[in-house]
This record gives sequence, structure tokens and C-alpha cells, in this order.
Amino acid sequence: MSLSNLIQNWNSFRTRRPYEGQYDDAPYKWAMVIDLDACIGCNACTVACYAENNLPVVGKERFGKGQAMHWIRIERYWGEGDAMTSEFPDHGAQYLPMLCQQCEAAPCEPVCPVGATHHSPDGLNTQVYNRCVGSRYCSANCPYKVRYFNWWNYPDRAWPNPLELQLNPDVTVRSKGVMEKCTFCMQRLRAGMDKAKTEGRILADGEVLTACAQACPTSAITFGNLADKKSKVARMWKNQQVDLAKDSQEKSEEGIRGYRILEELNTYPSIVYLERVRNLEA
Amino acid sequence: MTMSNLDRRDFLKVLGISGAAATLAGCGHTSIESGVEEVMSYVHPQDFVVPGIGVFYASTCAQCGSGCGIMGKVREGRVLKLEGNPESGISGGKICGLGQAGVQAHYNPDRLRTPMYKGEGGLTPVSWETAHQILEQRLGPNSPLKGEQIAFLTGGVSGHQRVLLENFLETFDSTHHVTYDALSTATGRAASKAILGAEQPLWNIHKARLILSFGNDFLGSGVSPVYMARQYALFRKAPRGTLIQIEPRMTLTGGNADRWYPIKPGTEGILALGIAHDLLQHEEFSRGVPQEILDLVKNYDRDAVSDITGIGSDAVRLIAAQLWNNTPSLVIAGPSVEGHPYGFSNAAAVQLLNVILGNRGQTMEGQAEHPFPQLTPTLGSYHALADLNQKMAAGKTQALLVYGTNPVFTAPSHLPFGESMSNVPFKVAFVTHMDETAGHCDLVLPLLSALEDFGTHVAEYQPDGVEVMLQQPLMEKLYPESKGYGDILLEILKKRKPEAYAAFPDYYSYLKTAMVKAKPVFKVSDSDDHFWEDALRNGLVKWNGKPTSLEAKLPALTLPKPAELTTDYPFYFVPSIRPDMRDGRHAYLPWLQESPETMTTVVWDSWVEIHPKTAEAMQIKEGDILQIQSATGSVRAKAYLFPGIQPDTVSMPLGQGHTQLGRFATGVGVNPYKILDPIFDDRTGELAMHATRVALRKTGEHQVVVKDEGPTTFQNGQKLVATLSADQAKLSKEI
Amino acid sequence: MNYGKRIFLWIVLFWIGSAQVFAEPFVQGGPIGSQTSDGYDALGPVVEQPIEFPHNTHAGRMQINCMYCHTYARRSNVSGIPRLDKCMGCHNLIEGVKDRPRIKKLFEYWENKQPIPWKKVHDLPDFVRFNHERHIQRFYFQEKRPVREVCGYCHGDIASMTTARRVKALSMGWCVSCHQKDHLEKAGSTVTSHGPNDCWLCHK
Repeated sequence: MSLSNLIQNWNSFRTRRPYEGQYDDAPYKWAMVIDLDACIGCNACTVACYAENNLPVVGKERFGKGQAMHWIRIERYWGEGDAMTSEFPDHGAQYLPMLCQQCEAAPCEPVCPVGATHHSPDGLNTQVYNRCVGSRYCSANCPYKVRYFNWWNYPDRAWPNPLELQLNPDVTVRSKGVMEKCTFCMQRLRAGMDKAKTEGRILADGEVLTACAQACPTSAITFGNLADKKSKVARMWKNQQVDLAKDSQEKSEEGIRGYRILEELNTYPSIVYLERVRNLEA
Repeated sequence: MTMSNLDRRDFLKVLGISGAAATLAGCGHTSIESGVEEVMSYVHPQDFVVPGIGVFYASTCAQCGSGCGIMGKVREGRVLKLEGNPESGISGGKICGLGQAGVQAHYNPDRLRTPMYKGEGGLTPVSWETAHQILEQRLGPNSPLKGEQIAFLTGGVSGHQRVLLENFLETFDSTHHVTYDALSTATGRAASKAILGAEQPLWNIHKARLILSFGNDFLGSGVSPVYMARQYALFRKAPRGTLIQIEPRMTLTGGNADRWYPIKPGTEGILALGIAHDLLQHEEFSRGVPQEILDLVKNYDRDAVSDITGIGSDAVRLIAAQLWNNTPSLVIAGPSVEGHPYGFSNAAAVQLLNVILGNRGQTMEGQAEHPFPQLTPTLGSYHALADLNQKMAAGKTQALLVYGTNPVFTAPSHLPFGESMSNVPFKVAFVTHMDETAGHCDLVLPLLSALEDFGTHVAEYQPDGVEVMLQQPLMEKLYPESKGYGDILLEILKKRKPEAYAAFPDYYSYLKTAMVKAKPVFKVSDSDDHFWEDALRNGLVKWNGKPTSLEAKLPALTLPKPAELTTDYPFYFVPSIRPDMRDGRHAYLPWLQESPETMTTVVWDSWVEIHPKTAEAMQIKEGDILQIQSATGSVRAKAYLFPGIQPDTVSMPLGQGHTQLGRFATGVGVNPYKILDPIFDDRTGELAMHATRVALRKTGEHQVVVKDEGPTTFQNGQKLVATLSADQAKLSKEI
Repeated sequence: MNYGKRIFLWIVLFWIGSAQVFAEPFVQGGPIGSQTSDGYDALGPVVEQPIEFPHNTHAGRMQINCMYCHTYARRSNVSGIPRLDKCMGCHNLIEGVKDRPRIKKLFEYWENKQPIPWKKVHDLPDFVRFNHERHIQRFYFQEKRPVREVCGYCHGDIASMTTARRVKALSMGWCVSCHQKDHLEKAGSTVTSHGPNDCWLCHK
């Protein structure tokens, strides 16, 4: 059963690619822009994610084994090559908020033997906890390393009473043996989309934000609906000349900052990063 | 989903009955069940309370003194998450990580739940009845205490908590309110006051074309980080401003600089005068500059300055040239400038650049005059604690009340506050958590958390007019035996001065009365109740005031060249302030412990940062356990190789090393406060926190450094964080 | 029997089984002990409640609209339990029944300002989100089906019971069986649509 799933998934992955106009008729396609020139690396987004998504605190020992559960993390680099080019980081550090890129051709999806991760109609990589059997293939296949596995049964220990009273009832508390990842705060999206549906409309731009985007003190994270051409995120994608369905972007001129990380792997991520700007003359 | 018209306290009464009793879904329930879980009915809720839908209430963040307006999402009687309050001019709807962790302070498993009284076997739980008896006996109407016999030691405190505290002391004919801040900026404030006539001017960051920051971590641990970060975002939009940061150890702000310079600790003032010297070569700048300034800078030519500071003479010229080309600019100084024996002069020399550059009135203004000076925050200093310590050691203090500060943990070992406390017959701590100082007290009172209590806050930094921020409970109290700080004080006051306070059943009514009385100042024509409800709903009351102008004076400066490093203590020691841990009071919050410190990505630990070149010369590898020895004491910590540090400097983060602050803080890391040498600023008497020098000794032991970064800290040619030169960016065309 | 054949047989059996159930998914569950096609108990256990609330009197004999008491169901994900003052709103005025044991118990709770600790009868696993609001908006307000029918899709004919008892499987297969059916878009229209089938619609 799982083998046939794998083969079937892989076949559809090989043949199906995001195509131009894929989301033209869809009400929603969630996407993000992260401005690395505005990001100051302050960790407000990461803590917001812990608060919103019931992420367990794993403690020093497990953190040291690479078992941290931060769905969004700030990576800090000292250089673009493979060594320092000068004695000091003359132009500061390079901060990178890294979270699930919600790839349109997600490498994690086809390798799931049980179909626990799949692509949602609004363009997200979903993770269905009760379906997950913990093979961890998805994590192995993720080039961004943004999937996190529950090596321990955190409900037993991560929230000593009364810390568990803070848990968000809209988000499952994951138990041992399942994979988890950034969901673009789909509990917020779902509540918003349901409300909008009842009112016979689609969500307005900015009506629902992910926890990280809402907290970010410099508003470095723009979140929105790419299917809505008037949304800020769609205008930014267009302005930055990034096309969801292309695996390499042609820019009309120099100095346009938008790019997608590891785009060359044909993952078609839903997050556009804007290059960090530095006055190198300073 | 904001609070509609209601009496907040009725709402809480309702929640108290049904909300707090509501059972919570257990974790990991995975089948369809019948008759297992309970589902509680509300008894008599407000109409807008709908199960499953969160309601947002405005309040004020009490995690630091910035006074950010926040909103708490409340569902089924529980506060689940904090967001920024868009009504607040300070937070503007944004919130930092430290602020978010406020919910963990509230739900923390190690909160103190009952009063504790020191008996023979140490502190043991007692009832509130007993606690009140003790309080009345010691501090009640028959107390013989007078004047300085009683001392109230606090951290920064503002709003009506401050008013009530001072009224309380007044009944003892005392003004002995001592404010201590382990990370005091008193030296910098004094320097700013001496030159500009304002302790904390407004910085119009977004208007600056160039910011020259000497060690001010305004994005991380400065005076109002969320507000500054919001301004910084505007500053980086077209036409993009440039940030130059000069400091011995790279702070979060330094990590965002266009150009970062490592400087020898303590030489910042000399560099500033060197830059001034270069600037004043330009006639445009020197015109109208008083002769005394010209005289002051004339000996600080580039080469001389370069020798002392370690900043190349080309760099000095380049910095001056950029200041020359980019006006208006903004020059600010931070803790690494102030923390020296001549920190005042250092900071003043830096501020002098603003005067020369004509930044006053452009990027720097005075804060609006405050309509309620009695509500402004008391700002702490080190020497206030030292004075108190002296009095205590001399046996002059008969009663000590401690609130919002932990000097036993943060005072250096040459100020043995814990020992001095044993000379005080009666010591009371107002805490939410048992900390090191409370452990030395006779009576420890469990406070409500910031999310359970009423209060008002006034921030030190008021960007626009003055905002009086309101704090209100976001849920019913978790522990029946905890009490509000205001309520406890009021109860004593009612006994000491019934004619003035008997009318107030609780702190809430005191607060409401006081706020309503202030209504005319806010020029609101609403009824009293409306005014109050609006204030609670918005989380603040705003007073529109105009920025004031700044003066320009030149105080006498002494800027000797710092002594050379010796073979005994061959390293400068820089304690760094983590934006999340601050002085260490937040170490009990697991989210913050697990949040990688941004520059190093280390978690749950203390470490010592060394420049890779220095480490190589000493054959030190990451994880080697080093003994860091100062003239005062020593600590052991793992080495972390860090390129963002001046090579003769080592740095350790403050905040860890608690012996008593709950399970998440106790035993994590070491406490570098304890090795700071007794060196003080010559003008203000403040502890010179950056003036200690240390020796490193290898212990031969090694442990893995637990951190988030991977084996490489480079991108290896992949396009992860791409950098674009500012002259190529087309920011003005962007959305 | 080889593996392929066995699979085929299972599919056929499943199809037959489901065809029977799917043909009329809104009937009452079977007798105790019987199972739906996907193996769940069709009929839940009898749940003892702090007050034996007679749905048959309120919804049955008195014909009170379900949503009069269960007001949250059309506004929120969760239907919650009716607020206590809702009960009192009527029962304060109904003198004739005030001496009955159940009503006495109700007054006791009210006077002590105590919530009634009802037992949850329809309790889904923690990883499932069921949105009451959307279902009621869709079938009651949009398609204008009778309220007892709409609630009854999942709760059965509560109006014939005293305290509620689960009579539907509430299993995923059972949910999906209805989501796959064509439903009228709104009253009077002939356009049909079926329920969404995205995993993250119900799994949280």
C-alpha cells in the first residue's frame, strides 16, 4: 500500500508542476515576502510562533541533539562564501528567518508513504498528524530543513501545570512519533476563511496574518493572498518580478531584490525573500 | 473582536465562576468519545462572549519599561496569546519576543502561590491572615518607623504604583524610595542632560540619513526596542539611511549595521573627538562652533586617535566624511560607552557630535513636557543601591521593602547586598517568583501576575505626546492566595491613614478615581464612566504634547587614554545585555531560554565570546571550558568563537547563573555580575560595567556548545541571504 | 487468494457497504453493538448527566427551535453548552414546574452561581476541527432546510430523546460520505455542490 502510494505520488510529482495561472480561479493562494533588509534578527517571530502553535520547549540536552521544534528560526551567517573575507564582520551579520517555504512542488510531499503531507487547494503543504506514521522521509527530503519530528512525547513534560493553560485550543498538541512543520498559521486562516465564507466574500488583504507577521516589529514579513492580484503580497511579487510558476526569474533590470531560496532545486517556494541591502561604501 | 461597552469587573466575576472552572481538553485524545469530558456552561456571560471565539482586551506589557500597548487574546476564561495594540503609539500593534513571553510569566509553574514567612526552618508558607498581622505589627499605625528607617527598594516603577508607593512612604515621613537598575543608564542620561539639557531626547530615527551609534543596542535592549525597530524599518526605506555601529562586541543592532567597527573598550569618547576634529576641518561645520569646542578637539587628530582606539585613521576620515555628506544624522551612545571610569565624559564627547552636526531640532528633540510628573518612571541607578547598602550595613535601616528588582543576584560581589540585608530586622519582598533577594527576606508576598492585575504605566521614552498606559487583568487570578501589589499597599495605607484611603475598597477603585480625576487634563468631554471605559478599551489615554527644544552646553570633559592591558589581566571584559534576558529577571521563561541568542545562536547557557584569531593564538577551541578571572572573582564558561568582537576583548552575556528563580533558570549558566571590578564613573558614581579586565585560563575541560547554528556559519556560495549594494538597490520603486 | 484479489474484494465489499450507508446517511444509528461500515459503534453509550434534561419536552413537545438554546452553534466553531441564564430566562417564569426535582436542581445551580458540569456526548478527537457555524449557515440559512433536520444530520433526532445520545458514527468515513454527496447550493436552486475535501479543513 505504502509503496504504491510512493510510486503514485512520485509520478504525479514528476509530471505536475505549478503552471501559469494555476491560482487564477482559486480564491486563495497563501504566500509571503520577507524583507531581509528590514529583518533585524530579534526573534519576535520565533517566540510568537511558540505561543501560537503550541511548540514544545525541548530543553538544552535535546536542543543539542538537533531536536528543537522551532517552526521558524533565525539563521545567522557571517559570509556568503565559505570563509570570512575579512577579520571582522564589517557589514554586520546576515539574518535569515527560515520557515517552511510552502513549496508548490514540495519535495516532502511525494515521499510520504501514507499521504500525511499533501498540497492544499490554497497552496500549502499540509501535515496531517493522525495520519503520520513517523517515517521522517519528508524531513530527509526537505532542502530547507524546516520539518520537525517529535522524538519524545512532549505533552508529558513540556508544559508543567499550569503552563498547559496557555495552549492554543485551535492547534493540536502533537504527540510522539509525528512530524510537524509551519502551517502558515492555518488555524487563523481557516477561522478567517470560514467567517468570510459565511459573509459571502473572500478574505480582505491583511485581515488575517500569521503570528510571525503580526508580531514582527519592523514589518519585515508580508503575508497575504497571492491569488488576489490586488493584495500587497501579490503586488510585491509582481514588483519584484518573481513568478510562482517559474524556476528561474528573469529581471528587467539590475537591483531588483526579490528571490526565492534554493529555487534552482525546482521547489517553487511560496516565500520571496528581498535581498539585504548594505551601504558597502560606509 | 475588541472589548465593547461593559464593566470589566463584572465580566471577570462571570469568568471567575465559569471560565476558571471550565475543564480543558486533555492532550492527545484521539478517539470519538461520549461522556468522558465535561463541558461547562457559562452562568451569566456578557453577550459578546462566544465559546470558541477569542476576545481581545487591551493592556500594557510589563516585561520591560518600554510601556508597549498589548492585546491579550482571551478564550474560555484563559489568556492565550499577546499581540501588540495598534492604538499604542509605542508598540503600534507590534510586540517583541520578550513581550510575548509575558504569558509564560503568568502561567509559570514556579510562581509563588502563598505568602512565606521566615521561621526557624527558613521561609515557610503562612496564611494571608498571618501575613497581614505581621505587616500591621511592623508597618501598621503603631509602627515606630520614621524617615530613612524604612526603605522601599524597587526597579523602575511608574504610574499609580509609584504614586501609591510614595504616599505609603509619606505616612512614615519618608522619601526613601530607592530605585536600582542593574543595567542603569544613569551615566549616559547625566551626560545627555549636561550637554543637551535632556536625559533622554527623542530620536527621529526615520528622519536620519546616517546613524552613528556607539554601542547603543537600540533595536535589542535599548530604551524602547519595539518603537525603535518600527522607526528603523522606516529609516531603511527609500532614501535608505546608513547605520554605522562602533562597539567592542557586536550587539543585535551592530549586526544590522552597514558598517561595523570593533573599538577598544573605553576609547569611544576619544574617537568621537577625533571625528569631531576631522569634521571641524570643514569650514561649514566649524563656523559658529564655540572656541572651547575647537580647543577641546584640537589634539585629537586622526593618527593619534587611531592609535588609541584601534580604529584606522582612514576609517576615522571615512566616518567624518559620511557625517559630512549625510545630514541630518544622529549620533547616539550606549552602555559600552558609559561603563567606564570616565563614562560620563565618554558619552558627553559622543553627544557633542550632535551639537557640532546640528542635529538638534532635526533628528533630536526634547520629549514633551509631562502633564503628570508624579507618574513618570523612577529610573534606577547603581549608586542608589550602594548608598542603601551602606545604610543597611551601618544598621540604620529597620525595614526594607523590595519590589521589582533582585540586587542579591545583580549586584557585584563587592556590594554584598545579601549580607547587608541580615542587618535589617524586617524585610518584605513583593514577588511573583521566589528569587535570590526574596530568599533573604523575612516576609515574601505572592503578587498577581502582570496579566491579572490593574495598573498604570508611563514609559520613559514617549515618542509622541504622553501616553498613560493602562494595565488590566486579562483573566481571573490563577492562585487565590496571590494579591495585587497595589492592593497590598492600599490595605496598609488604609490602616495608617484611614481618612484618605478608607473610601477605596481596592486598588481598582483607587486607580479609577485617580484616572477620572485627571480627566480634565486629557480634554475629554465624556462622562466619567465613559472616559474610564474608553481608557480600558484602548489600553491608554493620550495627552497631545509638542516636542521641546534641546540646549547645547559644554561640560568639562576628562578623557584620559585608558591604561594598557597588563599581563595579569590581558583582556577587556564586556558583559553583554541580551534583549530577552535583560538583567536576568526573565531567565525563568522557557521560551526565552530556548530562543537562540541572535548573534551566537546559543541556548540555555552562558558562554564566553572570543575572537577566532585570539582563540587561535591561545589554542582555544569552541566548547573549551575557560576560567575567566578578574581581580574580583572568577567564573567558568565555554568558549564560543565570535568574529564580532574586538580581539583584545572577551564578552559574556548577563542574565544567567540564578541560584533561585524556578526550574527553568536555576543552575543554567553562570553569573558574570559577580566578577565585575569595583570601578566607578568619576562623575556619577555609577558602576563602570565595561571596565573590568580579566585573564583567561584553560581548564582542559571541554563541552559541546548547545546552539542553533550548524557546522558552518557561511553560505558556501548558495544564495541564502543575498546582499545588494545600496547604490544598486531601487528601493524607491518598490512597494 | 492472492494479494491483488484480496484487495479487489475489499474494495468491492467496501463499496457495497458504503453504498448502503451512503444511500441514506441521516437515519438513526443501528442498535447497540452494531457497527458502521468503518467499524465505529453506531450508537454511543448512555451518558448520565447532572440533570436529566428532557430534549423531548423542549424540542419535541414544545417545538422550541434548537438554536434558541444552542445559540453559539450558528456563530462559532463550537456549539458550546447553553448558558445557565438562558434556562433561567424561561424557568423563572414557569411557576407550574418549579417544584419538580430537575428544576429544583437547576435553581440550585443558579443560586450558587455554579456552572452545570454537563458531560460531553459528541466529542471528536483533539486533532479534528468541526465547524458548527459553517454547517448551519450552509444548510439552515442558505438551503433553508428545517432546523431539526440540519442538526439531525450529525446529532440524530434529539427531539425524541431526553438527554442526548450519540446515534451517528462521527467517524471520518462517515463525514466524507456526506461531503461527497451533492447538496443544493441554496433553497430553490438546482445548482449543487459537495463539501470540501481538503485535509486541513477538518484536521488541525
